[in-house]
Amino acid sequence: MSAILERTAAPDPQVKKNYLNADHTLASWLLTTDHKRIAVLYLIGVTVMFFLGSLAAAFVRFELTSPRGQILTHETYNKMFTAHGVIMIFFFLIPAVPAVLGNFLIPMMIGARDLAFPRLNLASWYVWTISAVIVLTGLIMGGVDTGWTFYTPLSSLYSNTQVSLVLVGLFLSGFSSIMTGVNFIATIHKMRAPGMTWFKLPLYVWSHYATSVIIILGTPVVAITLFLVVLERTFRIGIFSPELGGDPVLFQHLFWFYSHPAVYIMVLPAMGVISEVITCFSRRQIFGYRFVAMSSMAIAAIGFLVWGHHMYVSSQSVLQGLIFSLLSFLVAVPSAIKVFNWSLTMWRGSVQFSTPMIYALAFIGLFVIGGLTGLYLAAIDTDVHLTGTYFIVAHFHYVMVGGAILAFLGGIHFWWPKMFGKMYNEFWGRLSAMVIFLGFNFTFFPQFILGYLGMPRRYHVYYFAPEWQFYHVASSLGSTILGIGFLMPAFYLTASLLRKDNVAPANPWGAKGLEWENASSPPVTLNFESQPIVTENPYNYDPIEDTNKVRREAGLPEIPREDPDKEVHH
Amino acid sequence: MATHAHTADPDAPAVYEQFEDIDQQQETYILGMWSFLVTEIMFFGALFLIYSIYRWQYQGDFYIFHKELDYVLGGINTTVLLASSFSVALAVHYAQLKKKRQQLLALGFTLLCAFGFLIIKAIEYGKKFEHSKFPNDTFVWDAAKYGGDPEHARLFFSLYFSMTGLHGLHVLIGILVIGYLMYLIAKDHPVITDYVPTELVGLYWHFVDLVWIFLYPLFYLIPK
Amino acid sequence: MASTPHAHHVTPIPVLLRTFFLLLGLMLLTIFAAQAPYWFPGMFGWMIPYWPLTNAIALAIAIAKAVLVISIFMGVKYTTNLVKLYAIGGFVWFLLLYVMLVDYVSRPWEPVRGWEAVPSSGLPRSKESDGGVPYPQFPAPKGKDGHEAGSH
Ligand SMILES: [Cu+2]
Repeated sequence: MSAILERTAAPDPQVKKNYLNADHTLASWLLTTDHKRIAVLYLIGVTVMFFLGSLAAAFVRFELTSPRGQILTHETYNKMFTAHGVIMIFFFLIPAVPAVLGNFLIPMMIGARDLAFPRLNLASWYVWTISAVIVLTGLIMGGVDTGWTFYTPLSSLYSNTQVSLVLVGLFLSGFSSIMTGVNFIATIHKMRAPGMTWFKLPLYVWSHYATSVIIILGTPVVAITLFLVVLERTFRIGIFSPELGGDPVLFQHLFWFYSHPAVYIMVLPAMGVISEVITCFSRRQIFGYRFVAMSSMAIAAIGFLVWGHHMYVSSQSVLQGLIFSLLSFLVAVPSAIKVFNWSLTMWRGSVQFSTPMIYALAFIGLFVIGGLTGLYLAAIDTDVHLTGTYFIVAHFHYVMVGGAILAFLGGIHFWWPKMFGKMYNEFWGRLSAMVIFLGFNFTFFPQFILGYLGMPRRYHVYYFAPEWQFYHVASSLGSTILGIGFLMPAFYLTASLLRKDNVAPANPWGAKGLEWENASSPPVTLNFESQPIVTENPYNYDPIEDTNKVRREAGLPEIPREDPDKEVHH
Repeated sequence: MATHAHTADPDAPAVYEQFEDIDQQQETYILGMWSFLVTEIMFFGALFLIYSIYRWQYQGDFYIFHKELDYVLGGINTTVLLASSFSVALAVHYAQLKKKRQQLLALGFTLLCAFGFLIIKAIEYGKKFEHSKFPNDTFVWDAAKYGGDPEHARLFFSLYFSMTGLHGLHVLIGILVIGYLMYLIAKDHPVITDYVPTELVGLYWHFVDLVWIFLYPLFYLIPK
Repeated sequence: MASTPHAHHVTPIPVLLRTFFLLLGLMLLTIFAAQAPYWFPGMFGWMIPYWPLTNAIALAIAIAKAVLVISIFMGVKYTTNLVKLYAIGGFVWFLLLYVMLVDYVSRPWEPVRGWEAVPSSGLPRSKESDGGVPYPQFPAPKGKDGHEAGSH
């Protein structure tokens, strides 16, 4: 991808200093300003939160295996699904890709030594950790029963659980993500290496730029809204309370003004990961680079104008509902562009089914199902039937788990050698990817049917329709498989760190990009040994050359350059 | 890379290791500050939106309630904030010209204005508390005497306290930041060889002023 | 990019001073304008209520003041286009929040009068004493034998 001006003689990789072994004290980790170390700190944090959120989900799934509920009371069940939603959304999905992989990769991909504001970056981790502790305290000391949406007036006047404490925690976590967003924007605008023009940026960087714009524009709105709920609980100020002259629907407006774009905060970075993985393991240039880049920006812009599709049955006016329905259909277009372009990238590529690629392919399939079922929900008529049912639950899990989490795992596998300098076990990697894919569909596909039949979300009993038990049990069994699938990477990835015989080369996948071609694995503290200069376009893969390399080694004749299509067609 | 040729000039501002040169560093900081200010715009923006919706619904009532607020005190506070905004702009001007004494004076004046603003605000708040206008359980609105719906009155004062309160919090943070900046300047901290820290504090402070420019007519000068 | 130490725009003191006095003048003007009903009686009173006009004046003056602060004091007039983009973009996105008003304007147009039953208001009312339109009366549910439920 780029020429290297000078390279110091590389010493033996075994003893080479890198960001991991530069310093070993605990303080050197807790006070680090190195974006790579902060990414590792975030990785530990979000992993813990992910398993805590999964624990709550396990209770929910177990409870639903019987039409009369298994073990939980009404209140405890409400607290369980709230805990699951709050933890997974605010402390896993939102920080997962940007704060872990984004933190690690953005400076490396654009050829910078660090993010623009390294201390702000560290502060964001501390704010995030403190907010996570506050929220977990609230969830343990009494819990919250409002659901992760905190609708008023339930959250403001009626709920007597730990709503205030949890909302203060979420308010703080918002600042953590704003800090990350500000950092990324300044970094991407101002810290690019010489020659790294906007249209030479990896698509991963584009998607993070769009995400950061959403973060700085949306997060403050939800922060102040949640804070007003806290004030309302404390002083009864009445902004969202109908008894006091306020309007509870206004809360929903302000909440979804952020929370719809927030799904793009979760899924846009994931799409960035997919663009990197697909191109690398198809050995092809991305199809329609500019369309993919611009679709990220279009999603960021249009995504702000569709929030009302969460409110068709909330007494928002019919006119506003119509406008939002139209715009919600419109926002599907840029996502579809991405899917088509990824598919066309693979076409005639030499596709290689390694672990990250399996995750990426799973992402595309599940994201398409999640996206298309979203169209049912964008149409007002069908949405009135499906609102508040398991159809919604299935839809957003297809987008969030099938989309964001699979891409996060794919990204972790793809950049694992770069982050830690160790190769993981490929067999276990592929197996876990397939187990997760299977378990995921097993869990959530029955929920589409349940929702269509009318099973309401947030109910833990369905004695009025015991015939639904079949689907619930199927879903719960699937979630067990899914849980096993999620546990597997935790083991074999950790194991890969402990082994000694699996040192990763600088570029194990033969991937393009500054982080692969110009940096060692793991990178040195300031990322590059010499300032990278960018001359080539991104994803400058050469499938013919790759194939010929294999053929040369096997003693086969090479494919002639002039007519690359010949081999495929005859 | 890595070795940044440190010029012999002792006045040359320090460049952090992630930047190539001072220009890149300055531009990055200013862009970062502006993207933070965009966040602040949306932060207050949500409150302004809520205000607009209720003001639009209850214009007549809001006219009645706003008479509780003293527009002379509010006007004095506007003047104080505008003056402080001017002086902080002066501080940036002197920081660029590296005139340390004048810079400190200008910042000191800004700090003085900020305290003045908070004192006047405290007097106003005190009066509201005395008259039971703080929207908690003690809130009272004598509709028979003044007219207007007591619930809308609660809404109006809720908005008044949350918006001016949040603004006041920003003033307080501003005082801390300006105070710290003055401390750094007085100590001749190497960071201060660059004018950008002063510029960033100035941008923040102007934003605080900007919010007040809208709050003043919206709360103190509601027309009939 | 020039790398001389003073390559940045230094706003001259007279410009700052002029801006400051302009801002003070605008503040006095807005106080004056808010008193319009008292010094401007009767002229438009029979045509339009005062408040749309006076509100518009107050808002226009506030925006003028904001533009002065942003362009001169905050130096946006002299900075890079990128910073201008962010400064303007922030305010544009703030205005985007006002899309919510579509909901509040159009709620009274609903074909079925519901709980938003205050004339020309989008806001819910819990009391009819506020002059709201009465809540719609639904017929009581019928029992199996045709009697009204609970009428025994
Ligand atoms: Cu949505």
